[in-house]
Amino acid sequence: MNDCSIEHQGDFALVRVRGEVDLSWSQKVRKTILDALGKAKSVGVELSEVSYIDSSGIAALVEGFQNARGKGQKFALIGSSAAVRGVLELARLDRVFPMVDTVEAARA
Amino acid sequence: MSCRPILKLTIPAKPEALKGLRDALVGALDREGADNTTRDRLVLAVHEAACNVIRHAYADGQDGVLRVTLARQRGMLRFALRDFAPPVDPARIKPRDLDVCRPGGLGINFIDDTMDSWRLRPLKRRRGNLLTMRKRVPRKRHGETT
Repeated sequence: MNDCSIEHQGDFALVRVRGEVDLSWSQKVRKTILDALGKAKSVGVELSEVSYIDSSGIAALVEGFQNARGKGQKFALIGSSAAVRGVLELARLDRVFPMVDTVEAARA
Repeated sequence: MSCRPILKLTIPAKPEALKGLRDALVGALDREGADNTTRDRLVLAVHEAACNVIRHAYADGQDGVLRVTLARQRGMLRFALRDFAPPVDPARIKPRDLDVCRPGGLGINFIDDTMDSWRLRPLKRRRGNLLTMRKRVPRKRHGETT
């Protein structure tokens, strides 16, 4: 089931994304990430339960990353699934995004 | 050269129809013996092509349909996406520089990286565009598992 939620942990916001991120709802992912960046100093996007992502989903992540970088905020992808990593590699973005394995690492 | 389609479906040109397209492609490509990595890349490429039709060819939320056909020609899989939208200029459809980090515009890169060849052409006389994409995928031998 597709789902996207924010969990606030002090100055850190954890965005959890699940399911197949495609054009039908990637705007919700984009908005959730941008909302999180509007309320927290640091944002982590948890992607371990994403079984599919398309270019519109990747665009949502890139926009979040660029938004954070522009405002001096921290932004990381957490536990990216193999499906996500594969598409990031295709887009040559796997070395652009800060990627960590755990929520604790994203908060550090 | 004509050949019998492996998969033939018509979907509404709406984002909500993409999941069904992907599921149908996964089943067809599994039956054709594509390994999982190749299958997933092909599904992504066709999905991106369909997204481009939905977002750009049928701009402004126009209603429309997309016909998707998969066929085998010798050792090649041939994917054809036919829309009924206004003609698209093929010269404007090309991969972008991936060294520039910006949101969007990745779909054609995914298609170009995945397929052995692809061609988009507006259909003369008739309304619409036809995108054909080809990829060499050996046929699964009897009893072989991927």
